[in-house]
Amino acid sequence: MAGPPLLIPPMIRFENASVTYPGGVQALKNVTLEIPDGQMMVIVGLSGAGKSTLIRAINGLVPLSDGDVTIDGVSVRHAKPKQLREIRSRIGMIFQTFNLVNRTTVLNNVLMGRLHDAGTMRSLLAWYKPEDVEIAMQALERVGIVEKAYVRASNLSGGQQQRVGIARALAQQPKIILADEPVASLDPPTSHVVMRDLQRINRELNMTTIINLHFLDLAKVYGERIIGMRAGELVYDGTGAEADENVFRDIYGRSLTADDMLGEAAAAG
Amino acid sequence: MTAATAPRSARPSRPPRSLVGPLALLVFAAITWWAASEEYGLNFDVPRLFSNLTRGAGILAEFWPPDFSVLPRTVAPLLETIQMAVIASVIGCAVALPVAFLASRVTSPNTLAYLLDRGILSVVRALPDVLYALIFVAALSIGPLPGILALILFNISVVAKLLSETVDGVDHGPIEAARATGANRLLTVRWAVLPQVLPNYVAYSLYAFELNVRASAVLGIVGAGGIGNLINETRRFFQYDKLMVVVLEILILVIIIEWVSIWLRRKLV
Repeated sequence: MAGPPLLIPPMIRFENASVTYPGGVQALKNVTLEIPDGQMMVIVGLSGAGKSTLIRAINGLVPLSDGDVTIDGVSVRHAKPKQLREIRSRIGMIFQTFNLVNRTTVLNNVLMGRLHDAGTMRSLLAWYKPEDVEIAMQALERVGIVEKAYVRASNLSGGQQQRVGIARALAQQPKIILADEPVASLDPPTSHVVMRDLQRINRELNMTTIINLHFLDLAKVYGERIIGMRAGELVYDGTGAEADENVFRDIYGRSLTADDMLGEAAAAG
Repeated sequence: MTAATAPRSARPSRPPRSLVGPLALLVFAAITWWAASEEYGLNFDVPRLFSNLTRGAGILAEFWPPDFSVLPRTVAPLLETIQMAVIASVIGCAVALPVAFLASRVTSPNTLAYLLDRGILSVVRALPDVLYALIFVAALSIGPLPGILALILFNISVVAKLLSETVDGVDHGPIEAARATGANRLLTVRWAVLPQVLPNYVAYSLYAFELNVRASAVLGIVGAGGIGNLINETRRFFQYDKLMVVVLEILILVIIIEWVSIWLRRKLV
């Protein structure tokens, strides 16, 4: 992009980034975007609009086919495997379906967040350093379920499982948190609990937080900044306060219905 | 009002029937006829099978009553059988674990390793264990060692095949989560895949052990150690009443092993 060079590059920067999947589907079209340190940004759009692809382009889980994404000036697209793991270790990720290993304990799931730093031999043998276990415990403490550390992950409720997912991300001690539809598998009250957890973490730890949501009311309440996506393109970029019904109608390309709202205690932020 | 008065929407027309099913059945029937037919096959017919069976009744009668005087002589070879099975299972199943991960697209580091590993596995699996025992007896001499080697090869091929197919079907969510933390491939397999397939791995290993105990009855006949030597000896001298004791012992041993493995599996899942 043209313009004066910045002295300190913004933390995350998309430069004409495009993603075309092997089937020929273009999920991301020429996206240019800057996300400064510490921002809480929400991405909205219909299913298939490219929200998940945008998020996964940041940590390289989806490779770019054109353009670049840089983090603190380092290219994700051109990173060598080891460099890419290094970049990923500084980015925590939270998933719609939690992606926990159900068969093992909560603590083992959270310790996954320490693998990048704990040493391969030690980690293979589950012989973690006390410091790493302590970091995992603190992460669980932050989401309020440290007492479940030795419980099997499958024995937790959905809301608790998502908090384990958040704790796993926090255990990485990351600078960025990516959340791909973090509340889509949860009921409305639990959704707000999890969203407030994310908001608190963003404010207290000053972690840049990028969240995909499809409920517009949630996006308005929690999004400091809202990005709208349609058919792989960026169609809106503004504050949560500015994003009114007309804006959302534009992003969705149709009139809004009750299904687009989570409803229930939407103002609870 | 009611369903009866609701307008009937058009029903989709039935897609043309596929001929693959009937055709496969026809081919299957033809092959069976070929194998059993008078002109091309073994001239097999069921009534004759039963009339021939009664002819063998005289020999079968010699199996009963079992002559338990042979019992003391069976102890050492039976123990040798168990020891062979233990050693072959421990080594074979240990080697099978990494081999299985290389043989699954989900966990294999690259296509070359995947194809190479699969290729070696199918070559090893092509020969039955008795043939391996024959080769090793010829190369090494009579005794338990060639038997153990044959069983190790057998265990690697069986456990690696079953386990790699289980790995193909694991939940990808935890794998994506582990990659997103910056964990390397080895640790991703260790913490996102292994916990998911561990109960299957234990079950397959116990099954391999059970098969090894049974196989050593046959391996001994070619001189590869274990209880099979005694079977061969009693059979050659037409001591069917003594052979019966060995048969009963193997039967009881295999049933005990099965009970133990069922109990163990239940504990693990």
